[in-house]
Amino acid sequence: VNARGPRALLIGLDGATFDVLDRLVAEGTMPFLGTLMSSGSSARLRTVVPPLTPPAWTSLVTGVPPGRHGIFDFVRVTRRAEEERELVAIHRSAGSSDAEAVRRAAETVQESRPTMQYRMATSTDIAAETLWSMASRQDRRVAVLNFPVGIPPEHVEGVVVPGFAPWRHLRRVVWPVTFYDVLRQLPGFRPEELVFDIERERRAIQELAIDEYDEWIDFHVRREERWLEVATHVLQNEECDLVAVLFDGVDKLQHICWRFIDTDVHTVRPEWEQRVVERCRAYYVRLDEILAETVRLAGPETRVFVVSDHGFGPTGRLFYVNVWLHRNGCLTWAAGVDLDDAQRVGPEEITRSSVALFDWSRTTVAALTSGSNGLYVNVARHPEEPGVPPEEYEDFCEALRRRLLGVRAPDGRLVVAEVLRREEAFPGPQQHRAPDLTLRLADNGFVSVLNAAEPVLLRRETLGTHHPHGVLLAAGPGIAAAGRLDEVSILDVAPALLHSIGLPVPCDLEGRFPGELFEPDALATDPPQVGPRTVARTTAPHDDAAETAGEEQVAQRLKALGYLE
Amino acid sequence: MDTRPESRQHEIRQEITRILREMTADWELDLPDGIRGSTGLITDLGCESIDIVMFIVAIEERFGRKGLPFESLLMNDDRYVGELTVDDVTGFLARELP
Repeated sequence: VNARGPRALLIGLDGATFDVLDRLVAEGTMPFLGTLMSSGSSARLRTVVPPLTPPAWTSLVTGVPPGRHGIFDFVRVTRRAEEERELVAIHRSAGSSDAEAVRRAAETVQESRPTMQYRMATSTDIAAETLWSMASRQDRRVAVLNFPVGIPPEHVEGVVVPGFAPWRHLRRVVWPVTFYDVLRQLPGFRPEELVFDIERERRAIQELAIDEYDEWIDFHVRREERWLEVATHVLQNEECDLVAVLFDGVDKLQHICWRFIDTDVHTVRPEWEQRVVERCRAYYVRLDEILAETVRLAGPETRVFVVSDHGFGPTGRLFYVNVWLHRNGCLTWAAGVDLDDAQRVGPEEITRSSVALFDWSRTTVAALTSGSNGLYVNVARHPEEPGVPPEEYEDFCEALRRRLLGVRAPDGRLVVAEVLRREEAFPGPQQHRAPDLTLRLADNGFVSVLNAAEPVLLRRETLGTHHPHGVLLAAGPGIAAAGRLDEVSILDVAPALLHSIGLPVPCDLEGRFPGELFEPDALATDPPQVGPRTVARTTAPHDDAAETAGEEQVAQRLKALGYLE
Repeated sequence: MDTRPESRQHEIRQEITRILREMTADWELDLPDGIRGSTGLITDLGCESIDIVMFIVAIEERFGRKGLPFESLLMNDDRYVGELTVDDVTGFLARELP
């Protein structure tokens, strides 16, 4: 067992909200969390748009918002028209003066591409440096356990076991590769329980049958225990400066079991519901024990940060936004697309199916995934091509925004609270990859991308949905016992973590240093330092060299077509 | 180095086969003839869509390339193709890799 624990411990509780945690602490279900709160500082954590796991955690671990890091969803969408514009820009930067030739060349290169497609977002899509990289290149060791958008793993100084990996592929995505054999030696190692894959993620926000609740909850208790086992090994055997472990059962339970967790919703219950209520409570009891054990293993000299990526609350409506778009003349369903009768938000296979739901020759705008609540506009490349002509794009988006804000549910209430253009929601160099429009629904619910009989319906049961305010708790050496403080941004966590492992805060991070969490004396003796800008990641193809290589490839293609000398 | 197209194609097929062998090592597949050019990722290897995604990530890592237009391989006329063989992937990479 190591003599030295990490200098900082980051514990992620995906989707945790004080609306639930404060009550669980008050009623004695989570005594350790209560001790942590009373001995340190805490604050509501304002997350990014959209309040979704991949963009939110990526914002937390990069210290910059989605418009800069480029992760907007579980998936990465590629639009043919967008890619063509990029090719043209690259060609121009290569010095061509023949605009028409450039346009034709890019169009030819793009001819075989589909109108729109998406794939799972990977770590190579992150266009900003992560905390793990910042720490590694400054001689700090890190352990990163169960964080999303971690495949392929960064080649950090330390250990990476990514989350949201298909368990059949775990061997290939662990860093260093030899660490998989270490995992296999752990007594409780079961990859199918350790890793929660993206396909299951989709099912996590659908309803369950009555007889499925017990297993769903128990499965997540076992998962947290699996990750505790990995964290225990790391804390006892890997000498790290920063250990980060994400427990994500909170999110999974709150989605489906919100009405059994938020006791304001139901009062009188049938016997099976009461059993689910008790099982949910048992989950939080066990989670509290797991938190206590993790913090104990780190040791008393470790500064502890418990954070969530977004909050949670109830949702009672379902907005089939593509049905509404269809009725408003913007979208045509592909032949044979069935009506959803199960109040689902998307197809079972998150990674590939929804682009095939639409007839793109007669579709100008569509929602591809439910998570981001984003709408993608199909912009025509030339007058003969289907889609919105580029010169009409602005008016089209503004008109759509106005109409969406008027959508009403069967109970007469407005469904859409806000419609953000991508320039508003995602300022930054990556905004061109974002949805053209992002919806925030009145109850913060997710849209459904499926076909249905009506565009808006009231849910049979109240489910949980993501809210924009998560949690931040800090405790340990140098942390003030300040109780509940004012709101903090999710972008402020990275500066606090960097300072806690003795590193300067890069001047190009967008958060501020949350000095109110710290004891004044601690800051006086160890003031936060501002350091040089972040650097391109060494292992991700978004670094300069790989980006140049990509441009060279485009240039080669254009050259092969005879448009580039 | 032999840069003839058929030699290049052969190298690519070998790399793809290696990736698939590593990827499916723990899958307990019943493939008496091993992974060959005609092997179907979906019917023979039992790949689901998430496995195809991971396969693409592995290819991009192995060949050191990002942003290859896999959609032109995976989709035809805005619909996903029903099957993908090792030879399909080999032909695609032989065209796309410089």
